[in-house]
Amino acid sequence: MTRTMIRYAPLLILAALWEALTRLGIVPRSLLPPVSDVFAAFVGMLRDGSLLSNAAESFGRGAAGLAAAVLIGFLLGAGMALRPRFHAVIGPLVQAFYPLPKTALVPLVMIWFGLGDIGKIVLIFLGCLLPVTLGTYNGVRGVDRVLVWSARSLGARPREVVLEVMLPAALPQILTGLRTATAFAFLLMVASELIIANNGLGYLIGSLGDNGAYPAMYAAIFTVIALGFCADQAFAALSAHLLRWRA
Amino acid sequence: MSCEAIGARLPGQARPSVPWAWLQGAGLRASGVIAVLAIWAVVGQLGLVRPFLLPPLPAVVAQLGGDLASGGFAISAATTLYRALVGFALACAIGIPVGIMISRHRLVGWFVTPIVSVGFPTPTLAFLPIFMLWFGVFDLSKIVMTAFSTVFTVIAAADAGTRGVERHLVWSAQSLGARRREIFLEVMLPAAMPQILTGLQVALPLALIVEVAAEMLMGGDGLGGRMLQAENYADSVGVYAGIVEIAAVGAVAVALMARLRYRLLRWHAEAAER
Amino acid sequence: MSNPATVDGIAIEHLSFAYRSRTGAEVRALDDISLSVPNASFHALLGPSGCGKSTLLYCIGGFLPVTSGSIRTAKGVVTEPGPERGVVFQNFALFPWKTVLQNVLYGLGKRGTKGEQARQRARSFIDLVHLTGFEDSFPSQLSGGMQQRAALARTLAADPDILLMDEPFGALDAQTRRIMQEELLAIWRQTRKTVVFVTHDVAEAVYLADTISVMSARPGRIRQTIAAGFNQEADHGVFKRPAFTELVEHIWELVRAEVDQARGVQAV
Repeated sequence: MTRTMIRYAPLLILAALWEALTRLGIVPRSLLPPVSDVFAAFVGMLRDGSLLSNAAESFGRGAAGLAAAVLIGFLLGAGMALRPRFHAVIGPLVQAFYPLPKTALVPLVMIWFGLGDIGKIVLIFLGCLLPVTLGTYNGVRGVDRVLVWSARSLGARPREVVLEVMLPAALPQILTGLRTATAFAFLLMVASELIIANNGLGYLIGSLGDNGAYPAMYAAIFTVIALGFCADQAFAALSAHLLRWRA
Repeated sequence: MSCEAIGARLPGQARPSVPWAWLQGAGLRASGVIAVLAIWAVVGQLGLVRPFLLPPLPAVVAQLGGDLASGGFAISAATTLYRALVGFALACAIGIPVGIMISRHRLVGWFVTPIVSVGFPTPTLAFLPIFMLWFGVFDLSKIVMTAFSTVFTVIAAADAGTRGVERHLVWSAQSLGARRREIFLEVMLPAAMPQILTGLQVALPLALIVEVAAEMLMGGDGLGGRMLQAENYADSVGVYAGIVEIAAVGAVAVALMARLRYRLLRWHAEAAER
Repeated sequence: MSNPATVDGIAIEHLSFAYRSRTGAEVRALDDISLSVPNASFHALLGPSGCGKSTLLYCIGGFLPVTSGSIRTAKGVVTEPGPERGVVFQNFALFPWKTVLQNVLYGLGKRGTKGEQARQRARSFIDLVHLTGFEDSFPSQLSGGMQQRAALARTLAADPDILLMDEPFGALDAQTRRIMQEELLAIWRQTRKTVVFVTHDVAEAVYLADTISVMSARPGRIRQTIAAGFNQEADHGVFKRPAFTELVEHIWELVRAEVDQARGVQAV
């Protein structure tokens, strides 16, 4: 417990510095409200439910988009790694899609789906698709062939080999892809909700800013950051558990 | 995780010596892209989808041609690239030294690590309203936003690269008489380069993603800003053309970065594989 | 009435294997190889690096498709991998996400042996390779020698007729290698499998094998097959016997001739 506190102490120091600088008036409060004000606003938003309701909207969309990306991306990546014909056709499309900044799809998504949930979900899906696909592709491709051969010579049929050998062997890289995808899900969630502002945490941040409610805006921003951090930590813990067989 | 690998041939899929087989392979590889374009053209012709949702391919091509000819594309692309690259350069200038120092100075390591572990996986784009508050809605806030979003990736990569330097390399240099500064410049930096460059290759697309989002939010010029404008005016041709333009800029940036990597790492095993 | 397509042991007839390299050129890795390995005998494949001895092993294993010719065992013509031909690889090829016990149980599960009966059988093989107590360890927690024992236990537990071993002790240090050689011989004498053993260590081949095939460099052919027969006794003292060292020297000269030929040097 103390180890964790020492590890994260610099953040507390920064927070203390922040409070000091603003309270002493060195930094104008209009630009940077004191930590205590931000915290008070945070509690206020929790109480009046605005934080939770918007968070629920955001998470619902983010989870849906991410889940769809994981499913499709996994199939795409595995398909490309295992079937050269499929790889030949789909590979160039993936490669063409890769350098496009996914936020550029926001206007397109607005044209197709208007301002509703589906559009944002589709955006998150498209943005998370590539990391999952790449992670799965690299993971399956990287499976040592002697593992596959050992399984075959022990009597495993080709389908069993894919499920019982290739999948576990590819898991480390698949999980890395998933972790990246999770971070992208948060990024696109925020981006889409800032630009298509009707509900969600991104909308909350934007509208609070527009109304000049800066302590609350800061509170909402740090809430999003904290949620992203917790999601990543949870994922790291899950990975560590799933991959505990590693050296 | 290299994306170029996905488009490349699978090992064992040697280039066939018989021309017909090669044509077959190349045809297969182009078929995906051709199919998409063909479907687009056909759907437009048959009027299966409202032109607003999927404008006819010729109209988009015409718009692209117009943007190129008028210099509009060049100006917007230059604006977006300028802001993204300056932010990216700032992130490198700060991030690489800091990342290297993490494993070499305990205090720096202790202080920076939690900040990076929070900043790295989180949607730093959420800070955009704060930067707009501090720096206004012009170039500066966009540059700061881009830099802020990418610096953590760069720091993490520089840290990993420095830590990963084989200590036998350092020991060899020491026993051959090199001094601390020389070891740093002549041994550690080159040895850490592959991983640092990998981090940069991840950070650059991220810079573009953030820059485009920032432009859409703040409005104005640049490829992202113009695309959102097009959307506001229900100009779907403009939106589609904008996507192609941004994709092109992104592709060029990624390709240049890969080229830079190849240049700097000519000695590395990777280069030998080409 | 025996099926003419099946043989005791392994019968390789006019086997060739070719593939296309990166540049598109055709590479003949194995050229017209004919070899007969009697049932329950220990056969070593020796040769310079790149001569195709591992490739030959992989063909017998059914992992690589033959270009021409055939390989037959008691189960018929070899077309794909099967549990009657067990394999042990140089880098152990243990499933790193499974414990030792789970690895050994894998092949048993495929044969339909499950439950307590399977566990008992698995444990008996783990005991056979002297890994008792490490059933619940992951491969990453074991030394190289222990991992190789686990791999051996996994292969043996599936009860193959034929054991294909691809430089299994190549990744181990010299001391562990000696111990493993002795243990392998003891297990072989006990179980009397047909073994095809690939190695580049001449002394190891002479110590372990009934017969040794020396292969030529690319394209891989069998230059000579020589009888050894020092493997009836366990102890390493046999290494010092004059007959042993003479045979090792003789075979070493053969191999060196192949190495020189591969390098294009005239044999004096």
